[in-house]
Amino acid sequence: MKKFITYLILSIGAIVFVYPFFWMLSASVAPESEISKLVLLPNSPSLNNYSQVIDKIPIFRALCNSLLVSSIITIGVLLFSSMIGYALSYLEFKGKNLLFYIIVFTMTLPFQITLIPQYILVVKFGMVDSYLGLIVPYLISGLGIIIFRQYFKTIPIDMIDAARIDGCGEFRILFTILWPNAVPAIITVAILTFMGSWNEVLWPIIVIRKEELMTMPQLVTLFAVGGRAESQLGVKLAAAAMLALPIVVAYSFFQKYFIQSMASSGMKN
Amino acid sequence: MKKTKLTPYLMILPYVIFFITFISFPVIFSFILMFHKWNIIAPMQFIGLSNFYHLFHDSLFFKSLLNTLIFLIVHIPLQIIIALFFAVMLNQKIRFIGFFRAAYFLPVIVSGVVVTILWQQLYGFESGMLNRFLSAFGIAKVGWLEDSNLAMMSIAIMATWKNVGLYIILFLAGLQTVPNYLYEAADLEGATSWQKFRYITLPMINPTVFMVVILSTIGGFSLFIEPYVMTGGGPLNSTLSAVLYIYKQGFFFYHMGYASTLGFFFAGIILVVIVIQKKFVERDA
Amino acid sequence: MIIAVSIASFTISSCHSKTANEKLVYWSSNNTEEIQFGKEVIQEWNKNHPDNEIVFQPVPEGQSSEEVILAAVVGKTTPSIYGNMWQGDVEQYARAGKLIALDTLPGFNEFIYSRCDSSVVKEVTSIDGHIYQLPWKINPIMMIYNVDIFHEIGYDKPPRTYSEFLRAAEKIKKVDKNGYSVRWIGYVEVLVTWWQRFFDFYPFYLAASNGGHLIEKGNVAFNNKYAIETFAFLKTLFDNKYLPRERLSARQDAFLSSAIATRFTGPWEISHADKFKPEGFHYDFAPLPVPDDFIGEPYTYGDTKNIVIFNTCPNVTTAWNFLKTMLSEKNDYKFLRITSQLPRRKDLISNALFLKYFEEHPKMLPFAKQSKYVKGPDISEILKEVFDMISQQFEACVVYGKITPEQAVNEAAKATQLLLLK
Repeated sequence: MKKFITYLILSIGAIVFVYPFFWMLSASVAPESEISKLVLLPNSPSLNNYSQVIDKIPIFRALCNSLLVSSIITIGVLLFSSMIGYALSYLEFKGKNLLFYIIVFTMTLPFQITLIPQYILVVKFGMVDSYLGLIVPYLISGLGIIIFRQYFKTIPIDMIDAARIDGCGEFRILFTILWPNAVPAIITVAILTFMGSWNEVLWPIIVIRKEELMTMPQLVTLFAVGGRAESQLGVKLAAAAMLALPIVVAYSFFQKYFIQSMASSGMKN
Repeated sequence: MKKTKLTPYLMILPYVIFFITFISFPVIFSFILMFHKWNIIAPMQFIGLSNFYHLFHDSLFFKSLLNTLIFLIVHIPLQIIIALFFAVMLNQKIRFIGFFRAAYFLPVIVSGVVVTILWQQLYGFESGMLNRFLSAFGIAKVGWLEDSNLAMMSIAIMATWKNVGLYIILFLAGLQTVPNYLYEAADLEGATSWQKFRYITLPMINPTVFMVVILSTIGGFSLFIEPYVMTGGGPLNSTLSAVLYIYKQGFFFYHMGYASTLGFFFAGIILVVIVIQKKFVERDA
Repeated sequence: MIIAVSIASFTISSCHSKTANEKLVYWSSNNTEEIQFGKEVIQEWNKNHPDNEIVFQPVPEGQSSEEVILAAVVGKTTPSIYGNMWQGDVEQYARAGKLIALDTLPGFNEFIYSRCDSSVVKEVTSIDGHIYQLPWKINPIMMIYNVDIFHEIGYDKPPRTYSEFLRAAEKIKKVDKNGYSVRWIGYVEVLVTWWQRFFDFYPFYLAASNGGHLIEKGNVAFNNKYAIETFAFLKTLFDNKYLPRERLSARQDAFLSSAIATRFTGPWEISHADKFKPEGFHYDFAPLPVPDDFIGEPYTYGDTKNIVIFNTCPNVTTAWNFLKTMLSEKNDYKFLRITSQLPRRKDLISNALFLKYFEEHPKMLPFAKQSKYVKGPDISEILKEVFDMISQQFEACVVYGKITPEQAVNEAAKATQLLLLK
């Protein structure tokens, strides 16, 4: 009996968390007049709302922009974070502790302080309305560095010393010996970075004004807030569904990694 | 042991450049901006402490702080209670645990924009799903986003729904570190479930609670996209969050100096709150 | 590396702006009709002036054209001529020294006085006495009304005064058997966004006050009985549920589906209405309602968009010659025909050329007549915020009824004065 109640509660919880997405999907294929009465599936589903979204906004272009920007940021963060994490774990240099504290401190620095000057900086560098404006400020991640540093600490130093004796350079040690042994850290950092930049909205809204350079969340946000959806719910929901789809698909394949990564980002803080 | 002296510096160089350009320069610049009036178009103009004078007379800014506070007061406890509840539920020998975990986690990974657009529809007054659900039980319709006393709470509920999955996972991880023998010993002494929870579980997972409080405080302080999309800050400015207000000052009216002042002031508040929380939560253990 | 990249991109972008500046660049608004007009005019210009060709571009798509212009100013990539500047935005660019003072150009004064009334010239004159903008186009806000609904309640003419409007509102109001309102006299967007007030408070205030100011000579000018009357009137409409408080979903146009009997809007509504109206639907336009004791022709807001020359312009003389061509009688007529927007000229309803157009397009005639009584926004650097302040109080007073009209106007005036002092 107690077991039954447990399952009942857990299932109600699951419905509460999943059903709205299901509703969004079925509402997005329903005709406008049915949405307000919709409970499960529409009577006459059609992809009309989706084709309207595609007509009204360059959503595929935005998808490509988002993919491009997020991928470059992720690759950059992986390279730089592992490099700096490596230096912090295995190398001796002046100001090493200071650097570590600076990294930790800047992670606690609220973005509200730096938002406006960063925008001005991007303006001065001529990076408004360019991919660079979206990418460059995000190439370094304090969290990424910390995750790599923690992970490298668990790898026995003998491995590195052996490689050094063989005459390997530090960069080669990092990328050919440590990387293959640090796959979990790489996955964690990659997922966190990719998701973070994929879902970012405030910064693109500030930096990008040309429609053909907008990222997907930005475009969908402006579509929903602005007048172009002409207050049609179905069209808005279709745009939202298209925005959700890529990350949900990725999640359904790599669910475990997603959950682990997100949880570990919490732990490290 | 060491090869070249240069390599380590080469390796940290990207961070140093990044730190100088994107962190220390902005912080210093922001600091200087506080004493200036600047609309980007015209040259900067030194105005001394005027921005601070204006800040302390800006009732809308204080309203936005209060709104953010209301959001946190609703959001954090709600988040902790629900997350803890489901984590305890999941921390038993049950089947399909992977499925439940995945389901609860789904809103976490989806963009806030999607969640906000979705909930805007659920909260609709005339035909929103929540109100239809309520009226099916004969309960009067609720102005989720129309009532200025409720709107911020509605946003807080939505934010909880979005984030709670992450905290369920964090609590679950915390719960699994509680050694079983403690419960067994308590069972021998005839403790009730509540007593076990209160005197064993809670103290043991205190670090997790602290972390959740801090994480959701930081998250809550940066509340922006939800009111931006859902309400634009209305009705009657009841959902105008501090970040939304700073955004409006900076990028709507181009008061860069003033927006900087607000940003600094607000950041100061955040730091103070987090330090206090740290003291408070850790002592409470 | 980051610095290298940014320096590279910086040099690339600055080189880019230099080459683009060799020819004059003209930016138009980016709606289809204006693009067509701009292209035709510039094609003709380039044919006649092969040595002084002008490059045509619609303003790049962005969140709003204001933001695009601002970004261009910051990045020093402004066009030479911009043909879609909101009158309320001009002063801050003028103050920052980004615009050419047009009154210093030869023949400017003759040109502008032959085109516009002296009140219009006064309206666009900057605080420093110079003129930085050339008044070009207006879209007056008027009342569109459903002729059949007003017939049904016994009105042959649309209501002219507040009292008539309120009486009509009571008769038009309809509630279904479940107690839900299904018909209202009108609709006012309850959003607090500052420019929404262009369609309610501001034109009503201009009508009541005979074209009064919000800001005059750097001081608050709206703490007067007209503003209070306007607030009180709109508040009465909401208090009595004559206007819906919820946002009407546009899934079906509320006016064309007869859910509302009036709406305060501009000439762009004509093509929309003619395209989507149901069979047998009749509509017309009338001036906005005025206070009961009002005598004369009411003013309204004109959504004025003007032309400016940026200081990045390599050849101001050419720019000025081009503008004289673009705003010639012939091209104004072309503009009217292509875009259905009104050129802001004083002979609009006396010149036979334009009259011919209005005979062919009778729905445009009320707007042409109204064009004599149109105001653009006041000269002020902080106009957006003034509208924001008013909008905040509008929401509190008119929509939610939390404060009285007197309090609302006082509060808005106080807050604005504080801003002006800053």
